[in-house]
Amino acid sequence: MNKPTPPKTEAFRALAPPKERSEASRVVRRITRQPFAIIAFAWLAVIVLWAVFADVLAPYDPLQNNFTPDEVLQGPSAEHWLGTDENGRDVLSRIIFGARVALAVGFGSVLVAMLIGVPIGLLLGFRGGWSDRIGTRFVDIFDALPGMLVAFAVIAILGRGLPSLMLAIGLIFCMNFARMSRAITLSERSKLYIDAARVSGIRESAILFRQILPNLAGPLVIQAAILTGSAIIIESALSFLGIGLESAVPSWGGLLGVAAAKQAIQPFLAFPPGLVIIFTVLAFNMVGDAVNDALAGDQHKRIKPVRRSRRAGAAVASVVPATDPSPDAVVNPLPIWPEPVTDRDVEGEPDADRREPVRALPPLGVAPDRSSGDILEVRGLDVELRPASGPHVPLVRDVNLTIGRGEIVGLLGESGSGKSMLARSILGLLPPGIGVASGRILLNGEDIAGRGEKDLRAIRGTEIAAVFQDPMAALSPVHTVGKQLMEPLRVHLGLSKKQARVRAAELLDRVGVRDAANRLNDYPFQFSGGMAQRVAIAIALAAGPKLVIADEATSALDVTTQAQVLDLLLDLRDEFGMAILLITHDLGVVAEACDRVAVMYAGEIVEVAEVDRMFDGPRHPYTAALLAANPTTEAQVDRLPTIPGRVPLAGSWPTGCHFAGRCAFATDACSEGSVAFVDDVRCVRADELSKELVVR
Amino acid sequence: MIKLIATRLLLAIPQMFIVAMLVFLLVYLVPGSAAAVALGDAAADADEVARLEQQLGLDRPMLEQMMTWFGNALHGDLGTSLIYGRDVTGMVLDRLPATLSLVGAGLLVAMVIGVGLGVLAGTHARRPVDRGVTAFSSIMQAVPEFWLGLILILVFVIQLGWAPVVAWVPPAVDPAKWAQGLILPALALGVGASALIARQTRTAVASALSSKYADTLTAAGVPRHRIIWVYSLKNSMIPVLAASALAVSILFGTSLVMERVFAFPGIGTLLLSSVISKDFPVVQGAALIVCALVILVNLVADISYGIINPKARPQ
Amino acid sequence: MNPQVESAAPAPVPASVSGSAPEVSPQQAGPEASAPRSPLLSVRDLGISYGASKRNPKLVVEGVTFDIFPGETLGLVGESGSGKSTTGRAVLRLLDVAAGSIAFDGVDITSFGRSTPLSYRRDVQAVFQDPSMSLNPRQPVHMALTAALKRHGIGDAASRRAKVHEAFDLVGLQAAHLNRYPAELSGGQQQRVAIARALVLDPKLVICDEAVSALDLSTQSQIINLLSDLQEELGMSYLFIAHDLGIVRHISDRIAVMRTGRLVELATAHDLFEHPQHAYTRRLLGASPAEHPEGRVERRAQRTAYAKLHAEGLIEP
Repeated sequence: MNKPTPPKTEAFRALAPPKERSEASRVVRRITRQPFAIIAFAWLAVIVLWAVFADVLAPYDPLQNNFTPDEVLQGPSAEHWLGTDENGRDVLSRIIFGARVALAVGFGSVLVAMLIGVPIGLLLGFRGGWSDRIGTRFVDIFDALPGMLVAFAVIAILGRGLPSLMLAIGLIFCMNFARMSRAITLSERSKLYIDAARVSGIRESAILFRQILPNLAGPLVIQAAILTGSAIIIESALSFLGIGLESAVPSWGGLLGVAAAKQAIQPFLAFPPGLVIIFTVLAFNMVGDAVNDALAGDQHKRIKPVRRSRRAGAAVASVVPATDPSPDAVVNPLPIWPEPVTDRDVEGEPDADRREPVRALPPLGVAPDRSSGDILEVRGLDVELRPASGPHVPLVRDVNLTIGRGEIVGLLGESGSGKSMLARSILGLLPPGIGVASGRILLNGEDIAGRGEKDLRAIRGTEIAAVFQDPMAALSPVHTVGKQLMEPLRVHLGLSKKQARVRAAELLDRVGVRDAANRLNDYPFQFSGGMAQRVAIAIALAAGPKLVIADEATSALDVTTQAQVLDLLLDLRDEFGMAILLITHDLGVVAEACDRVAVMYAGEIVEVAEVDRMFDGPRHPYTAALLAANPTTEAQVDRLPTIPGRVPLAGSWPTGCHFAGRCAFATDACSEGSVAFVDDVRCVRADELSKELVVR
Repeated sequence: MIKLIATRLLLAIPQMFIVAMLVFLLVYLVPGSAAAVALGDAAADADEVARLEQQLGLDRPMLEQMMTWFGNALHGDLGTSLIYGRDVTGMVLDRLPATLSLVGAGLLVAMVIGVGLGVLAGTHARRPVDRGVTAFSSIMQAVPEFWLGLILILVFVIQLGWAPVVAWVPPAVDPAKWAQGLILPALALGVGASALIARQTRTAVASALSSKYADTLTAAGVPRHRIIWVYSLKNSMIPVLAASALAVSILFGTSLVMERVFAFPGIGTLLLSSVISKDFPVVQGAALIVCALVILVNLVADISYGIINPKARPQ
Repeated sequence: MNPQVESAAPAPVPASVSGSAPEVSPQQAGPEASAPRSPLLSVRDLGISYGASKRNPKLVVEGVTFDIFPGETLGLVGESGSGKSTTGRAVLRLLDVAAGSIAFDGVDITSFGRSTPLSYRRDVQAVFQDPSMSLNPRQPVHMALTAALKRHGIGDAASRRAKVHEAFDLVGLQAAHLNRYPAELSGGQQQRVAIARALVLDPKLVICDEAVSALDLSTQSQIINLLSDLQEELGMSYLFIAHDLGIVRHISDRIAVMRTGRLVELATAHDLFEHPQHAYTRRLLGASPAEHPEGRVERRAQRTAYAKLHAEGLIEP
């Protein structure tokens, strides 16, 4: 009686009008492509055949008794392939006939459940409001009752028999259907396309039946398949207990009842009906899963886990010198940003820490790191998706990028440009199935590309840290912000709980959260978006990283809040001197905050420039087009210059320049071969175009 | 905290009331006269039917009877068995230890296997381990628990003789034998529910690990084992708790069957014989007490949910 | 201490703001004050409450007053929670109005009751923010248009098909797109379908609720141009709701600024940007990222100074 969540399918295309039959056949094709589904369908076909043609298929009359002692409770033999039961009846014949009861009860009870449950769910979901709240409470109460108890009660009331079995099991499942129909109706009802239909004047009844109901069909089919299996289990349990159908009627559960009673005499009797039940239920579940997968389309494509290279194993010590983990290192006045204590377990902290007086904490701050050399250097980086089958898909190609100490570098790109994948490969946070194919990521001159989890742990937080887009999702909702903020302080700085708390409050205060000490006890949902992002920034800064990667860190915020958070990042850079890689799609954010900017398009960096230079004299046609297309609050132009077409998706990048297909200056030469990144620009005509690309 | 418990308790009261109402209505829903049905073939004698109707209170107006029934139920009086003439409350309470032992042990098995496998699969999402666990839970959901019980008896009692024939030993008599006797029934009962919990846990852990907050902590250098066991686990517990509450309801239902398999003198066997013999007061009393237990478990789950999830606490 | 304007608690609207709101006269800032025309849409003292009981209404929009003239584009800007989308939804009759009036072509639409006349459903259309959500994922995209035409009893099957073709052509889509499902189209193409759906009924007013916010920059400019071109060709009015000041300035004739449910300023696009009157408008303009790095040091200093004053409680929030 599992409750599978309704699948998040983008389309239940089987319901499309006949004209779009290709959609329905696509689903069928997807189902038939799953080998397990075919086996399941084949088994169910056998069961249906049994039920329909039982009279022909069964070798014996299932009701024919034979009380001769050597005919009772026999094991498998040539005459009786599966032996005989306590009345000398042929077990195989009883199993074949038992398919009738199983399918009748299975389908019948699910039909009853749907007829009761779906209208209730539709009504509750579509009405909403108070009636929904009260009705849902009822549904929940009823659904919480043990199903078997409901069945017992119905049988106690109505007595035994096929109709009461169907009703009994149907009542167990009806609230399941009600709950599902309600949830889907409710979620569809609040969607924009329903509003759009209303605005077009479409009638409410038409909205319910034509727009909402089709969404229900897919999940209903899946749920019905799975619950039919469950119904067969419950039917067999009731028959096993002797309160299903009359004991003479052949049923799988009834056979098991006999098997239980005669277990000591004929143990074999338990296996044939038991295995038939298991296979049938499994088949129904598999059909449900197969339909689910087919509807979900290619979303659940399997991926090959990317093997991490082991080459970097021992190199970590040279990247981050580990300090003496003895207590003295902590008792001595803390260095301003202590070197990370890599291998210390937070739990196994020495007692000395706890006795450490709080006032020994130094003031918050970091010596700006003005040592020469770049903090980060990315060379020839390729990142690719590796599906379980099919060719690898490049996501990021030949990226070269350096970030100086204390520098703010913008990474500008539209969606699909690969900018977030680049950021994640630097952080070593690539999703499964995506990996660095080649190239180097030099942090302080040490290659960290493809490093293992353990090696990266020492670098993360202390050398490199990150702030992500959605601040609410970026904090664990069930832990206080204090706990989350203290985590890196304790891991990296080896602070005691008390010390970490004091430092956490200082940090929170520094990023502009008022009443910081008390707010440590609050949960993320008690913060506004802007304030939550400040907390996330504090977590990133806790162990004094030299480079912070801000991945669309201000994009989800309102303009005034965005400006404040950007100003905060600038202030913190001025104070602590860390470098920032600011990933954004917003030209304004680049203009306000960055020292240099790298423009990314379809997986490649097309141009790197000082920020003023990029705005005044873009060298790549894409940069120029992007600047021109930006509607401004200053200049008034009648029409915005546009870029025709759209960003090509990963996997369908053209040979040669990725932008050539949309570029006003493209020539045949642009599509001939991959364009090299020369002198900070990736364009074969960069030199000749330098005079043509002027900003309005 | 007190406010949390109070509000949840307040919600449980109407819930209990509705369930009690359904249980009370049971006799009225019987087609024809419940008394005649209860007497079965022997119902030829109209006097006897009338006497039973009086005993069941069917001769009085329903509303009046309802008040009496509720009043008695509140005092712990659930009526008298038609067959044995004993008070129903006593009969059910006598059988409570066996049922509670079975469900409790089953839940333990379900949680340990379910959460263990779920975490294993969730932390190895889309790898062979995960596929193995998914296959296991799919198969276990298709295996009828009572059949698994039969097979366990066949193997461990009849063939190997490792377990005693009589599984139930009251804990007061011999705690060691009580625990020993519970092993097979609890396994048979719990493995099915563990599949449900494993699925939920797997999904919850996998999504918690691929969440943005896991990224934030990872990027801050927090070790993976801490992210799994401290952060992901607490976040995952919300859906796992819901699944466990559902599992308890399922376990109570399945235990009714399992008691028969292992010959446990629990509420299930009592209920079964009462259903067969149409002993309505016993059916009502046993159903009411099982429902009350399920509601109690849901209440505990609801409160724990509020403790884990700060947003669910009354502000 | 930093300013906490983004803090969750809604700041009480200071007297100066609430006082100034009703003073904004739509006629004063009319596009052609010399030649007064009757407004197409006239919103007066609009109040909208959410969820709360009737006895104790909690207004999320209060005292909003503006006009939209035929062929005009009125921009409506504000941050999240300002009530700008709520106002748009009320005009679309997707929300109940708690106070005030909305007159369309001289008819008060708040007096319609539960049902909405079909003529209004024809004259007023919408383009919503998320194009992937505003089309039914289970239907080929032409169905949204066909169903609308059918509902309004326009033409027979053949002429409806022709009309849908025409609308697709108008928004730059091809016949091949008609039978596609939303998931098979790009975001920009989906938004073109949504625009075609709005146009096919030949409306007088189109509510564009963050219609380009979900699109990439290069797609965004295509859609903005399309909307401008269509207005020139067909002459309908737009209520253009957005949070991006650059876009709103580009497309609007006049702009209304909303904050926490109230209208704080309404002026022509030029005046609003060149001579902002209200302190909040000025702050919004100051916070909006510029399109060139030039002068950013000064801008940042200005913001910092403001934040400092604010933290010391010297200026209103």
